[in-house]
Amino acid sequence: MSYSKEDLRDLYDGRLPWHKTFEIMSKPKDDDRFDKYVEILQERVSYPERILMPLGDHLNVVQKGEERMVKCDCGHEFGDWRQNWKLNALIFARDDTEKLEEVYPGLKCPDPNLCEVREFYCPGCGSLLMVEAVPVGYPLIFDALPDIDSFYREWLGRPLPDEKEFRDMTYDVTREWGRDLE
Amino acid sequence: MSESKGIGEGGKTIKQMMEGNERLYRETGCYAGITEPHLLKENPVKGELFHSRIMASLIAGRETTRMVSGSPFVREVAELCLGLYTPEGDNIAQSTGIQIHIKLMGDNIQWMINKNYEEEVGINDGDFFISNDPVISGMHAADVYDMLPIFWEGELIGWVSTVIMEMDIGAVSPGLMPTPNVERGTDGLKFCCERIGSNDKLNRDFEHKIEFCLDMSDIFLLDRKGAIASNIRVREDIKRIINEFGIEYYKRAIRELIEEERRNQIVRIRQRMVPGRYRGVVPAEFPMADQPVAWLPAKRDTIRLIPIQMDVLPAGGLVLDFEGVGEWGWHPFNGTPQAVWGGVSIVTVQTLAYDGRGNLGSLLPIDVKEPPIDSLLNPSQIKKLATSTPWAPLLDVFGMWTHLLGIAFYLRGFREETFNYRSSAGWQMAGYDQMGNKRPLLAAGTGYFGPGACGVCDGVDCGGWLATPEVDLGSAEVWELFVPHMEMSHRIEPYSVGYGRFRSGLAIPQVVMIHRSQQLVGSGALGTASDGIIPNLGQFGGYPGGRRNTLLLRYDNLPELMEKRQPLLYEVGHPADLKDRFPGQVFDMGLIPVPTEIYEGDLLVSVSTAAGGLGDPIERDPALITADMDNGLTTEWQASSIYCVKTSYDEEAKQWKVDEAATKELRQAKRKERLARGVPVKEWWQRSRQRLMDRNVDDKILEMYQSSMRLSEAFTQEFKDFWALPDDFNL
Repeated sequence: MSYSKEDLRDLYDGRLPWHKTFEIMSKPKDDDRFDKYVEILQERVSYPERILMPLGDHLNVVQKGEERMVKCDCGHEFGDWRQNWKLNALIFARDDTEKLEEVYPGLKCPDPNLCEVREFYCPGCGSLLMVEAVPVGYPLIFDALPDIDSFYREWLGRPLPDEKEFRDMTYDVTREWGRDLE
Repeated sequence: MSESKGIGEGGKTIKQMMEGNERLYRETGCYAGITEPHLLKENPVKGELFHSRIMASLIAGRETTRMVSGSPFVREVAELCLGLYTPEGDNIAQSTGIQIHIKLMGDNIQWMINKNYEEEVGINDGDFFISNDPVISGMHAADVYDMLPIFWEGELIGWVSTVIMEMDIGAVSPGLMPTPNVERGTDGLKFCCERIGSNDKLNRDFEHKIEFCLDMSDIFLLDRKGAIASNIRVREDIKRIINEFGIEYYKRAIRELIEEERRNQIVRIRQRMVPGRYRGVVPAEFPMADQPVAWLPAKRDTIRLIPIQMDVLPAGGLVLDFEGVGEWGWHPFNGTPQAVWGGVSIVTVQTLAYDGRGNLGSLLPIDVKEPPIDSLLNPSQIKKLATSTPWAPLLDVFGMWTHLLGIAFYLRGFREETFNYRSSAGWQMAGYDQMGNKRPLLAAGTGYFGPGACGVCDGVDCGGWLATPEVDLGSAEVWELFVPHMEMSHRIEPYSVGYGRFRSGLAIPQVVMIHRSQQLVGSGALGTASDGIIPNLGQFGGYPGGRRNTLLLRYDNLPELMEKRQPLLYEVGHPADLKDRFPGQVFDMGLIPVPTEIYEGDLLVSVSTAAGGLGDPIERDPALITADMDNGLTTEWQASSIYCVKTSYDEEAKQWKVDEAATKELRQAKRKERLARGVPVKEWWQRSRQRLMDRNVDDKILEMYQSSMRLSEAFTQEFKDFWALPDDFNL
């Protein structure tokens, strides 16, 4: 089972005719999807670094020298993929009624005493990369921390050179920020 | 050694069989120790025929129940499901329907096995067993399980079970799945795996009991007869299948079906996902302070966190962990570890195992870490608590798990599998129907919900709800016969949306007018614990839908409006100006309406809101926006303010059109605005941290964090690590 890159491009862009989209949804999955997916994404970015793992509509983990960085399509870099990339984004926190009602008017408005709607923008291009709706004071959510080395080594059968330790490094950054305050 | 006289294979007891099965699984990692499945593969056509015979029987059995039942829950909405089980209570196959119960019905069978029913109660050919106690296993007390053993030449060779959601189980008002109830007795009738019939005949004393105890005894008894009819039908079909395939083939093949599915599930995980860690959180709100409950310690508003972590293991398994979940409370919304498995079951058959082969094997590669004792998901005092609605927070939890699975599919390139679910809440009533009978009154169509956007297209309007893959409003006219109300409209609500490059599916609000009841009390019906905090279901730059609403609208002078043939309200319209437009009083009833008297002509409104959009809204194709506008699914305000698309209405062509140049400018301006008002996260972090240090947050939020911290050192440590709080700091 395999689909052409042309069909997959159209699928991702929402341009594939519905009967073909439905076919892709309902039939057994294609084994070469990941490689074609990455090729399509690679064609669409301006930077030369190899994409290792897609992370969002505009974000990918790329190999940059010996580092694995989160990078926006526009080229902006968000640091090591093991740190929550949100730490290096711009944030607009909708934390009062006025800001919330810009999106959620009247009856739709969450309670600003309880809820914060956080928007994360790319500092390079102003794309809205993620919206987070959480209780006030909740730590930033690290939505996805892919185990890239296990994936390439054990699932794809082609290990990456220079494997990295798989661990959440977000708190290395926040603890450093805390020390800056002392 | 005394001779065994069990009813299982070779004279074993079924408890011995169950323990043997568990030991083999522990030793080999394969279901029933089947390390080399071969029977189904040796003759795949025969294997497929065998499976399809079973599936056809279960689905036909389900339809049989629908023909016998008198309940619109069953006939209109199909709130039922059938499962076939091994003698040990392991699921082999399941019909369509509310598959959330498939594992739970097996739990009830295993509870009977563990309680030594074989010797102390007796399990005989033709026995009917019934259960609806979530403390044993279940999603809420309104779901009733009818279980029937299947014998072959004197040996127990399996079970068939049917689940039906009832319209009345005798609970305190409002009587079906009440919200102002706290203690166990208020749930209504509880059946703990009780025998209610033998020799294929329902006990007459059971019928007397139901007739005396339930307002809607006729509906309840017809449901039992429908379930019994379907169970017997499946049992007889299974005997025919055994006659066709042979008993030895049957016994081996049912177990190979489970082992084959276990292996297939691992293959699917490895094919469609990416190993790693995925995280989300569900805040569950329980506003009980104003509820009229007699157990006074319950009268407090609380919020509980339910963090969710999914680890996709390199070996191909999944682990779900709820570390950080807050404490249980005096309310009817506490979950159980078994109910958590119900959520796992229903999500699994909608995301990974949707090819009709779902069974216990779909669940074996999934490990759910037991939620901490005395948490919201595992109260040690569960027997004392009402369990009318444990599913309210659990539907939120498993909508979030669907979201996490969607992220993993998206990373792997299977964007077409990405979506998420959101549940809702609304009205239920107790009182007199239009025929003068006092009874619980709940209309429960399921086709109101807007699922999240898919990764390659918009979400299906009114097309998705976690609790059942088959969303169906049923016939409004039938509901109008059962509940004293008139539907004012069925209109898709543009403001229910989760915005995004692909938008969520949209929802249909319920707008009903009370008609011809002599006395009614309205209260809440909960399928969610989300109110002031909207769920975190936005995907990759898409927004989650906004707040859901339960409203009571009372006209100042309805007869005069009708006399003058003035239009009555039939849709909510713009959510900011309803109070200005409506000629009467608008009461926002919150998540759980306090029991309130309802009168002729009152409008009860329940507005569901959708799950999440996907992608940056200003990247949405303008052609999709104008198409939505032509269909009344997007407003001009949404087009310009959210999607940044300049539109105008072409009176001649009778359709909306896009001003492309103005749109380009609007979108560029939006990007500039974002860059201007966005601040570095570090700056925001410092402000937010100080706010926490000053404890300058709502008391309920503070107590919510304290509750999680009381149960989890790991949560406390991560919270302090993120905010770089001193070790000795306490919120």
